[in-house]
Amino acid sequence: MATDSSPIAGTFQLAGRAEAHPASARINDNGSVQIIAANDQRPLHYSNAQDMQYGDIIPGLPAELIFADGARFIPNDASFRWPGLSGAKRLPAWLETHWVAVLAAVILVPGFVWLMVHKVIPSAASASVQYLPDFVAVELGSQTMDLLDRFYMEPTQVSDEQQEKITADWHAILQRLELPEDKFRLYFRASSIGANAFALPDGSVILTDGIVELMQDHPEQLNAVLLHEIGHVEHKHSLKTLAQATATTMMFAMMFGDIDGAGELILGAGTSLLQSAFSRDMEREADAYAYTQLHKIGHSPVDFANAMRALMKSHGASDEQLQGNGSGEDNGKELLEYLSSHPDTLERIKAAEEWQPDTK
Amino acid sequence: MNPSVSPDVSNAGETRTLPVVFSGKKGEYLKLWLVNMLLSILTLGIYSAWAKVRNTQYLYGHTQVEGHRLQYLATPLQILRGRIIAVILFGLYVLLSSMHPVANLVLMLLLLAAMPWLLIQGLRFSLRMTAYRNVRFSFNANYGGVLLHFILLPILGALTFGLAMPWVIQRLQKYVHESISFGGHNFSLNSSAGYYYKAVFACIGLAILYFIALAILGSGVFAALAAENPAAIGGMIIIMISYFMFGYVIAAVYQSMIRNHVMNNLSIDGVVSFNSSVVAMPYVWLMLSNALLLIFTLGLAYPVTQIRKNKFLADATLVNLQPAADHLVNTVSDQDSAFGEEAAGLFDADLSLT
Repeated sequence: MATDSSPIAGTFQLAGRAEAHPASARINDNGSVQIIAANDQRPLHYSNAQDMQYGDIIPGLPAELIFADGARFIPNDASFRWPGLSGAKRLPAWLETHWVAVLAAVILVPGFVWLMVHKVIPSAASASVQYLPDFVAVELGSQTMDLLDRFYMEPTQVSDEQQEKITADWHAILQRLELPEDKFRLYFRASSIGANAFALPDGSVILTDGIVELMQDHPEQLNAVLLHEIGHVEHKHSLKTLAQATATTMMFAMMFGDIDGAGELILGAGTSLLQSAFSRDMEREADAYAYTQLHKIGHSPVDFANAMRALMKSHGASDEQLQGNGSGEDNGKELLEYLSSHPDTLERIKAAEEWQPDTK
Repeated sequence: MNPSVSPDVSNAGETRTLPVVFSGKKGEYLKLWLVNMLLSILTLGIYSAWAKVRNTQYLYGHTQVEGHRLQYLATPLQILRGRIIAVILFGLYVLLSSMHPVANLVLMLLLLAAMPWLLIQGLRFSLRMTAYRNVRFSFNANYGGVLLHFILLPILGALTFGLAMPWVIQRLQKYVHESISFGGHNFSLNSSAGYYYKAVFACIGLAILYFIALAILGSGVFAALAAENPAAIGGMIIIMISYFMFGYVIAAVYQSMIRNHVMNNLSIDGVVSFNSSVVAMPYVWLMLSNALLLIFTLGLAYPVTQIRKNKFLADATLVNLQPAADHLVNTVSDQDSAFGEEAAGLFDADLSLT
């Protein structure tokens, strides 16, 4: 710190004009500052302590004094610090010049991001979707249905009587589980994605011709799959995914919005990994829902295990793979595509077979 | 550390030719950048407004001409406010456009229509927040002009299969630079489209030479490959590396030629003009080594590459200040919002001048 008496050499920059003068600044006992021209000792400016502020302290740059009218005094010595400078003004520059701060934050940041993405955002998303009005789900459902019909699905080839049979069967189950029949409507569609079923946020459930054909002799398997899909709807999984994805994207946009170079690549990869982790958790949640409901109507989760086996087989898994000791070489690719967002299917089959009503 | 030049106005009356001095240090800026990035992350991006101000203040403050430093005058709160509005709009945009295909289309059209405006706001804000000797820069483009130069002319350029593109870029850069003013005086840029064609032809010439060399080397490698000679692998690697480097060579040759041409023809009558003497080969090396630095540090060396580039370009630049430069008066008020700049950045409409 400079003593109050010695003048500080620098430049006096006039307010709003290019004119500047070599000058020196003298700090008086009461904190006021007087600027004096270097060449002829002419007084150039005088300011009370309360009519001036300090510029930001940036490493390697002089600390400027900014007067009320916008004029500035810039010391020649970049390391000079005004005695009146507060600690808060000095703090950023202190952090920026110490590797300790850098290292501490390097450790803190990944932990913080993990906590946000893994804990805070999912629970916030879960909590907030409960408050979403129903029409959001209905609107999302009908939009998705439109989109699917336009680009991915064809009218079904399943006969009317078979459709009626499956629907009647399904309604009987809904009644027994006291679920609203008009909410969980079944739709039959032909699609190149093979045997599959999926639920939309509004409760519509789409069955592909592939899965109807695959399970035509095993209605109990089809029902197990349908209950799994209802599990997604009841847990509002698609809304949660949407909320989470939006919140995560927003968070990353906010956190890393100003960072160039540091690689959206890494972030992108991390985010999609996390997304598939979310979707695996959701599959397990929907599975558990299916087990409980199957149990309620006097069926066994083994129905679900059998349905999964049938689906795996229809998507190209070999008998060996079904046993869990396959080399994974043949048809691996197609299987991989189907399974990418799902937990290990064999694990799910095992979980279904080992499920006990008292464990939940 | 760096000798501070004591400014002297007594030699007013004649034109002074002055170097641009850049005194930023790699390690110093790396630390500053890292700490600011980490603080931004830990505050969920709120600190990023302060980070932006501090990063820019560092780079500007270490750039000086005749002992006077460039000033960055935006305040963090200005930037934070703009950023919050932009983030909210962006969130609404994502949400609405994912909900309804029609909404998506309408929003996209709206965004397209707003694009010129966003570009203007962004450039206007950053220029108005830039000052030299307490005199601010300003940007006075209008919607129609930006629409013409940034959207319509490039479409025209594409329709001519790129033949008109050098001319389009010359028009665009002329328009942008001549929209900038300093102390109430407009810049003028007497660039010639012919020179842009010259730069493009130089690059095409280089490309032809490269592909001839590639054909000769390539046929040798293929012959070796056919003969199952293990040396062929090395040849393949050399070809791949040369291909990676070639992109930087072309870019550096083009950019250095255009930068020199633009700077040498940019002036404010009676106030200031510039000399730029970027030499292509060292610039190639700078760009290439910066790219390698970024790749091998996963982007963390970004601040180091910025310091290197700023230093390189400053060293290649001279400023000719005429006497009137010492008597300029600021004409720009500081009432300005950062929203345009932030929104432009979020919607990927940021643009750089050279």
